[in-house]
Amino acid sequence: MTIANLFRRVAPACSPGRLFLALAGSALLSVAPHVMAESDSALSLNGFGTFGLARTTTDDVEFVRDISQPRGVGKDWSALIDSVLGLQAAWRISPQFEAVVQATSRYRYDRTFTPDISWAFIKYNPTPNLSLRAGRLGTEFFMMADSRWVGYSFLTVRPPGDYFWYLPFYSIHGADAAINLSLGEGVLRTKAFYGHSNGKIPLADEQWDIAGSPMLGGYLEYQRGPWQVRASYANIKFKNDLPIATVLKIPPANISEALNFLSTRGARTHYYSLGVVYDQGPWQAQLMLNHIDQGSNALESSDGGYALAGYRMGTLTPYSGYSWVRSNKQPGLNSSSVPQNEVAAYVMQDSHADQRTIFAGMRWDVVRNVAVKAQWDGIRGEASSLFPYRQDNRARWDGRMDVFSLTMDFVF
Amino acid sequence: MPFRRLILLGSIFWLLVQPAAEVRAELVVVVNARCGVAAMTRNEVINIFFGRNRQYFNGIEAQPVDLPDTHPDRLRFYGLLVGKDLSEINAYWSRQVFSGRMQPPAKVGSAEEVLKWVVSHPGGIGFIDLAKADARVRVVYELAP
Repeated sequence: MTIANLFRRVAPACSPGRLFLALAGSALLSVAPHVMAESDSALSLNGFGTFGLARTTTDDVEFVRDISQPRGVGKDWSALIDSVLGLQAAWRISPQFEAVVQATSRYRYDRTFTPDISWAFIKYNPTPNLSLRAGRLGTEFFMMADSRWVGYSFLTVRPPGDYFWYLPFYSIHGADAAINLSLGEGVLRTKAFYGHSNGKIPLADEQWDIAGSPMLGGYLEYQRGPWQVRASYANIKFKNDLPIATVLKIPPANISEALNFLSTRGARTHYYSLGVVYDQGPWQAQLMLNHIDQGSNALESSDGGYALAGYRMGTLTPYSGYSWVRSNKQPGLNSSSVPQNEVAAYVMQDSHADQRTIFAGMRWDVVRNVAVKAQWDGIRGEASSLFPYRQDNRARWDGRMDVFSLTMDFVF
Repeated sequence: MPFRRLILLGSIFWLLVQPAAEVRAELVVVVNARCGVAAMTRNEVINIFFGRNRQYFNGIEAQPVDLPDTHPDRLRFYGLLVGKDLSEINAYWSRQVFSGRMQPPAKVGSAEEVLKWVVSHPGGIGFIDLAKADARVRVVYELAP
């Protein structure tokens, strides 16, 4: 098997994985002067990356990391979904001002590894515990959502899918403010953000443009010693409708009733989450819960969560966890309010999720700044659980599969 | 009899090993003597070195300084403070850096440079061997071995 084969399913126009490999090569060359990251200079250059392989036990659906990915993996080993390379330049202009630009190359909505500018912002600290940022920013809809691609920073191969599939949003054009207050021996942190989303979500062969959709959110967090507790809320008001007619290749006029019913334009979706983290000595444990309240008939509201624990022994950290997601029809929908139409039924069926995942794995910190991980995910769900997947064969899919993953994460 | 001899042998071995442990100097957290901080709790030290809190109780900006991974005191410091290995500390900072939240504390190469940093920054704070602390710095926290 050639390396290029591992990156298949990228757009034919883009020579498979070449871009990623070129970036990886240049990154490895720049590993040598990593002292830059450790000096006291005003400019720091850092990077992160993952080379990851994954396969499942079925070809009835394709497994993706989140719904920002147009294609996923099946029974053959593939490097498509988990491989990533990121580079960051941070320039401390003065003690109060900092400029940060970060570029990331990963498999994205248009089936290429075209690098994106993930963040580009100016940060201003009027006082040491108050931070104001403006520009292109990462969003923290859920805890750790803005470091989801930095594999080295967490224990598992990838953030639990049942929790993160529904979150294809990564950045906004806007501003945020965060303030840290000492409270007893702990620290209370409050953050609020507002901006317009930036990006596209793949839908079959088409893309749903979510650029310009207003997003608003914030969280309250208390950290004391090994404990961290956070409650967060965010919402997005979609600017555009799903490209349903284009995907199904039906003239919109023929299915106007269904399209009106499934409209997302102007619909607001709310995201609530609660997270508890314990991190002390060899132990790491997390419990996260979320509730997503969809504002459109095209998408089902859902509840999800995960529990995870790991214990470090020297350079090895075995871990195990459990995650779940379940979606429900919008309240108030009954057979009389749903158009008797195949299109509406098909699209609504597509947004259903109902499954549980048991996972177990091992992180091995091989050398400084490099971790190798192996993980097994046992997904046990209903045959109707289609939303998290791509290219489903609904007639055959039974809701059950195993996923095997092997990754190498690094930072420099 | 052989059992008693084993205990004796074990005791001798223990006595031989013991001084080596005592020679290892105590690691302490020091601040600039003029910053007005007299003592800190473990959680307050954690808050400063993990960037959760950037100010002392009196409003002065905390300016922590760290050592590189290759320096043995770094491993000892985080081991005693939070029981974490350096890979976990580096994982924590990669999350902060690549999410765009904050950069880690500056790093200097040796204990002497840590002392220099603490003395030359009004809110300077670092960790060194107790024996290296002088009148220009104040010991605010002792890391229990």
